[in-house]
Amino acid sequence: MTTSLSTEAPTTAVPALEVAGLTVTFPGVVALHDVDLQVGVGEFVAVVGPSGCGKSTLLRILAGLTPSGATVTGATACPSAAAWMPQRDGLLPWRRALPNALVGARIAGQDRTVAEARARELFDEFGLAGFERAWPHELSGGMRQRLALLRTCLPGRPVLLLDEPFGALDAITRRRMNAWLAGLDLAGHGRTVVLVTHDVDEALLLADRVLVLSERPGRVVLDLPVPRDGTDGARRSLLDALEVMTRPR
Amino acid sequence: MRRWRRLVAPSLAGLVLLVGWEVGVRLSDLPAFVLPPPSQVARTAVEVAPLLGDDVATTLTEAGLGLLLGAVVGLLLAVLIAAFPLVSDTVYPLVTLTQTVPTVVLAPLLILWAGFGLLPKVLLVALTAFFPVLVAAVTAMAAVDAEHAEMVAGLGGTRRHQFWLVQLPASVPGALGGLRVAATYAIGAAVVAEYLAGQSGLGVFVQRSRKGYEVDQILVAVALVAVLTGLLFLLVDGLARLATPWQRPSLPSRPGRTPA
Repeated sequence: MTTSLSTEAPTTAVPALEVAGLTVTFPGVVALHDVDLQVGVGEFVAVVGPSGCGKSTLLRILAGLTPSGATVTGATACPSAAAWMPQRDGLLPWRRALPNALVGARIAGQDRTVAEARARELFDEFGLAGFERAWPHELSGGMRQRLALLRTCLPGRPVLLLDEPFGALDAITRRRMNAWLAGLDLAGHGRTVVLVTHDVDEALLLADRVLVLSERPGRVVLDLPVPRDGTDGARRSLLDALEVMTRPR
Repeated sequence: MRRWRRLVAPSLAGLVLLVGWEVGVRLSDLPAFVLPPPSQVARTAVEVAPLLGDDVATTLTEAGLGLLLGAVVGLLLAVLIAAFPLVSDTVYPLVTLTQTVPTVVLAPLLILWAGFGLLPKVLLVALTAFFPVLVAAVTAMAAVDAEHAEMVAGLGGTRRHQFWLVQLPASVPGALGGLRVAATYAIGAAVVAEYLAGQSGLGVFVQRSRKGYEVDQILVAVALVAVLTGLLFLLVDGLARLATPWQRPSLPSRPGRTPA
């Protein structure tokens, strides 16, 4: 399919995710208009935009969760299975932390003992060691989000779709989570990550490439690779792109 | 101070009512076969207490088995209704419609069909108990948090996963709430079934006492039904708490725990 991407070409030949001419309409509202997006295998892409621009809708559609009442046109292709993490943690209150972490692995049909051993390792890595038997309501907001991320990572799906994973946290905790997540090396080794956020710094810290969506109806207005050496220039371009939209009219 | 008042005020009011009853009966010379004074009821209670063991055991067996049967049937039906929209559309309205018939009215039929033994009483208690369990469980399953359902779907979960991971566990607190309600009806339903036929049970004791105009004994049985119902409720409530440990108020954080 020929795409009308006016911006940079994706870094790898075979895309892990591809969206072409995606338009999503709710009764009376156009949420996304003619969105094109390609994400390469192993790439970490962040999608930023003003609130209500349809970035969560985009991610849901990638995850195969068509919002009720929405009309979707255009092509989306996600050849490999994806794991989606909602903005709220979605932890099941009747499962302790470890069984909650195993929900994704169980859905993926993984062997329970293997998944449990792997989960115990990840509890360490995610700073949750010692809390395997805690109920979700006993965990702090940051721990709940890390547990939800652990649940999303455990099945080993090749595509991770993260919807503002730390959006509900306070600024200080979010910063600490981001630093930790950046050290986790989530993407790569054949794993692709799409992160939706409204936080430009979060996007720059974590992603290889940042997409800016316009105000509703959402379109891709900027597709910016993040330079590894100093992100000041990239930061300014992103803020400029967002500024154009959010200027009071 | 307020807790003290909450405990003492109702106790005092109850005591005043009892004294009023005692004085009223003595002053008006009401015959004991119409209304005995509470002091006589208390004396009778002490007298008949050793004889009531078998009757209490029978009634409790009927109520317990009936409650169990009703809860199992109610929960199974709720699961079918939640899992299959066709069952929901077909069966649920009919089941709701049958609740216009008070189950007590069916007692004679049950005795006609199931004999004079334990079975008709257990069935009557089960019929009374299953509906609150069913309604509470169905409501809880229908009100499943969209957040949880989406989480499962977003990880690639099918309808089967939704059911086992989200819907069924979400129904448990609801079903247990229904069971608490059902527990308050269970003993009463068993006693009413015993009024009609039976060899033992509190209902049989009441009928026997009525034939002998022993109103004091009837009042003892009434008080006993109240006490047993209260105990059964406490038991079911305790079991419900054990079965839903995540609903306990959060424990104070253990030493060594530092929130992130």
